[in-house]
Amino acid sequence: MTGISSDVIRGYNDTIILCLLLNRPSYGYEISKQIKQMSNEKYVIKETTLYSAFTRMEKNGYIESFSDQDNAAGKRRTYYRITDLGRRYYRDKCDEWLLTQEVVEKFILRQQDAEKEKTYGSNPQLS
Amino acid sequence: MEAIRNYLETMFLNLPNTPEVYKAKDELWQMMEDKYTELKAEGKTENEAVGIVISEFGNLDDLAKDLGIDRYMQENPLPAGKTFTLEDAKRYLSDYSRHAFLIALGVMLCILSVCGPIFCEAVSAASGHDHVRYMEAIGASVMFFMVAIAVGLFIYSSVTIGRWNYMKRERYVTDFATTEYLHQRLESYKPTYALLLTVGVILCVICFVPAIFLDAFSGYSPFWNQSSGAFTFILVGIGVFLIVMGGIRMGSYNTLLRLNQQNTVGGNYTTSQQNSKQYTNSTVAAIMSVYWPTVTCLYLIWSFLTFDWYISWVIWPIAAIISSLINNLMKN
Repeated sequence: MTGISSDVIRGYNDTIILCLLLNRPSYGYEISKQIKQMSNEKYVIKETTLYSAFTRMEKNGYIESFSDQDNAAGKRRTYYRITDLGRRYYRDKCDEWLLTQEVVEKFILRQQDAEKEKTYGSNPQLS
Repeated sequence: MEAIRNYLETMFLNLPNTPEVYKAKDELWQMMEDKYTELKAEGKTENEAVGIVISEFGNLDDLAKDLGIDRYMQENPLPAGKTFTLEDAKRYLSDYSRHAFLIALGVMLCILSVCGPIFCEAVSAASGHDHVRYMEAIGASVMFFMVAIAVGLFIYSSVTIGRWNYMKRERYVTDFATTEYLHQRLESYKPTYALLLTVGVILCVICFVPAIFLDAFSGYSPFWNQSSGAFTFILVGIGVFLIVMGGIRMGSYNTLLRLNQQNTVGGNYTTSQQNSKQYTNSTVAAIMSVYWPTVTCLYLIWSFLTFDWYISWVIWPIAAIISSLINNLMKN
């Protein structure tokens, strides 16, 4: 099985992070851990990619950072929270993805489709 | 844990030390530390945990644009200098420590060399007039012999230390572990340096005391009367030995700590005074480069022509005042 391509997912790192911030503020490692868990360990985000997304989104006003005490770990951390602008951006990106997915999906042949195509000599998706 | 810290610091070594870069480093460190702690809690070994954290760290190029340093990275491509390793640094320091000792010994021998004639003269004065000529010959021989040894030490030491000259021709940088090591060595050396310097200066200040006491208490003993001056030189010799040795060793630490550029994260320990100021006017710079040799020449010419040694020393404080005046006015 091939791994996920970072080129492809790059455009949706922001969406993934914003989704995890929808309900409550969070911090770097927690987000990267959640991404790993929710993707069944198929996507591990690099630390630099994550931090880069944080700074970019903060500059664009999608998220805000604040420092707070983490009592469990006993140290201060930088937390991130989503802004209203960030929520709107998130919805837009979701719509964009659904459209993208719909379009790209049309051109994706599953294994059994490909075999059918061999047998019948035509593309079932297109016919 | 230490390995991760080193990795992170080394990655950031050549980046400019701006607040954004520091914030990024802190944040990344937080994430790496969290990940490491959790991996260890899951029962991973030290090596596994470090390996995973480093392999999932990513690439600083991802960050460059968001930190506003992509232009900097282009202008200063990452291998901005060859790495001066910890091993090199250790050898450099031990070489310079020996160099410091040999040079200081040489300087001390030069100063002590005048004691030969003084003592020999004192002996001949004490023992009557028969041996005067022999004793003068012995005294002079001792003096030249000591100077010869000193010169030998200077040449030998300079030639052997010359193997490090290649560092001046190319730009070298030290990695985080080496910089830390050097900084620790410097910190632990500082008390020794302070002690050497203090004792050295005290010895120089009190150098006349033995002579004064001997003159006052030796009564009519010709030997002590004649030789009292020698103790001045002995004290000065020891004092200068301590000062020179301490200074050269201190210099070697600072030279290495200055390898990293001051405006990068790795240059944290770079002392601020180094070449940070320059003369605004090139003519002034040219004049100032020969300032102290010229002052020395003037002092010697004046003193030897007039033998007004009692007053000619004022040239030094005056020259120092003029020098700091020019530095303050003409440097940016």
